[in-house]
Amino acid sequence: MAMIAATLLFALLSLFFGRYPKPGFYVPLDGRSNALMHSILVNVRLPRIALALLAGSMLSASGYAFQMLFSNPLVEPGFLGVSQGSAFGAALMIVLGASSTVTVQISATIFGLFALTASYVLARHFRFGGWLLRLVLSGIAVSAIFSSALAVVKLVAEPTKDLQDITFWMMGGLWNASWGQLLSILPVVLLCEAIIITERWKLNLLSLGEKTSFSVGINPKRDRTILLAVATVGTTLVISVTGLIGWVGLITPHLARKLFGSESSFSLPASMVVGSFFLLVSDTIGRTLLPTEIPIGLVTSLFGAMIFIIILTLKHQEGKA
Amino acid sequence: MNILELKGVSFTYPSGTEALKEVSFTVEEGSAVALLGSNGAGKSTLLDLLLGIHANGAITLCGRPLASYGRKEVGRLIALVPQSEQFNFSFSLLDYTLFGRSPYLSQMQSPTALDAQIAWEALAEVGLAGFEERSITSLSGGEHQLLLLARAIAQQSRILLLDEPTSALDPANRKRTLSLLQRLHNRGKTLFFSTHDVNFAAELATHVVMLKGGRLLAAGPKEEVVNTAMLTTLYGTEMRTKTIDGQTFMY
Repeated sequence: MAMIAATLLFALLSLFFGRYPKPGFYVPLDGRSNALMHSILVNVRLPRIALALLAGSMLSASGYAFQMLFSNPLVEPGFLGVSQGSAFGAALMIVLGASSTVTVQISATIFGLFALTASYVLARHFRFGGWLLRLVLSGIAVSAIFSSALAVVKLVAEPTKDLQDITFWMMGGLWNASWGQLLSILPVVLLCEAIIITERWKLNLLSLGEKTSFSVGINPKRDRTILLAVATVGTTLVISVTGLIGWVGLITPHLARKLFGSESSFSLPASMVVGSFFLLVSDTIGRTLLPTEIPIGLVTSLFGAMIFIIILTLKHQEGKA
Repeated sequence: MNILELKGVSFTYPSGTEALKEVSFTVEEGSAVALLGSNGAGKSTLLDLLLGIHANGAITLCGRPLASYGRKEVGRLIALVPQSEQFNFSFSLLDYTLFGRSPYLSQMQSPTALDAQIAWEALAEVGLAGFEERSITSLSGGEHQLLLLARAIAQQSRILLLDEPTSALDPANRKRTLSLLQRLHNRGKTLFFSTHDVNFAAELATHVVMLKGGRLLAAGPKEEVVNTAMLTTLYGTEMRTKTIDGQTFMY
């Protein structure tokens, strides 16, 4: 509860952080009479804050689900090629001249799912190491393939417009946030979140051995496939409008489990709230700290990596895989 | 009453390996059955089949084909104690034991106070009372095995399938596990366990099923089936018995 309150409070405060009319924190008491200020609040900052909250919770939920589904606290969708796959999908559409956001989103989702499937199938055929190691290795291979493909796309991209769009993708950012963008992903993302929350008890069971989860009355193969697809679709939709934002899905589940225990009834929703908070703080810092905006992906990577190092050095309980 | 019936069960893996050939036997409710056989004899495959992991039409559970049951229905009748379980998340002992209540929970339901009560009792049963909030990653090998048992006990099934329950235990923990399983058996629970520990089988089992190269070598009451000649055939090495302090050991 305290975490939700803190997130909402910060969301409210964040509304008054910005560079207009002066850099820093400013509460516009003349909001109603000042049309420009009003427009900035309602049409620029508010959708951006809402998008940060939505994206943070979805990336966290996906990361959480991936960790449970692969029974490995060290994975997130990015580790299995999903991020690079969808980045390639989006870049391809941008270069091919797709004008609508929806086309870019669909392409990003399809390639994200394809990358995940490729990682999974490859890992099954690898003849080296245990299942989790094989999965991480195949994820690295698939990511590398899509990275090089992406580099080729960037080479042929038209430098003044397309290349900029693609670069935005790679670094992640919410500066294009608008109500239209938010609404274009909102229904499906909320649906994905709802499915993951509904199936949170199953996530516990799927983190156990295959035979044990089968013996307590679920169908691990089917349930794992469905939840992986849901988590991947949610992630790719989010990054199709925000660009690549790393580390959120990896560290927020860790933090939530430290605070609320590993059982997902509490730690999954908590992880989503922490994710929203983390992304909102990162975005607010990114847009106010320096005169030019720092891409959010860079901020989350910096903070995420630092928190990750602290978590892993403090106590080695979760990171046995 | 026969709680399990196998009529000519065969199983071949997709890779072409024939793991079981025409295996037939019955398991009476309330009996304790030891499944004996060398490595690769098909014991694990048989356990998987009884669990329903590979569909097979030739297995009958409580008078109905196993394949006709829903997953949760099977979970309420058969619980599994795997050989070991890798713990990658630090669930509490109570959380882990509660997972055994899953076959009784509907889609969106979380465990109730009654489920928690059953899980507490299961932990007390195996001697882990007072450790409910401890993390499962902090357990010793013996406690680990006891916890797997507690989760299966909380499942309140009629049959307990155990995959080599003593393979990683020291003598003290082996004894604890043995007396715990004897207690469960005395209360009418049907036990079906694979093991390489012939003496453990002799102490706990009422019936024995022997597999050799995927085929049934023998099945029946322990007294009729287990003798040194049969064990020598089963393991392909000479087996002897020795009596120490009035108790007979096989080696």
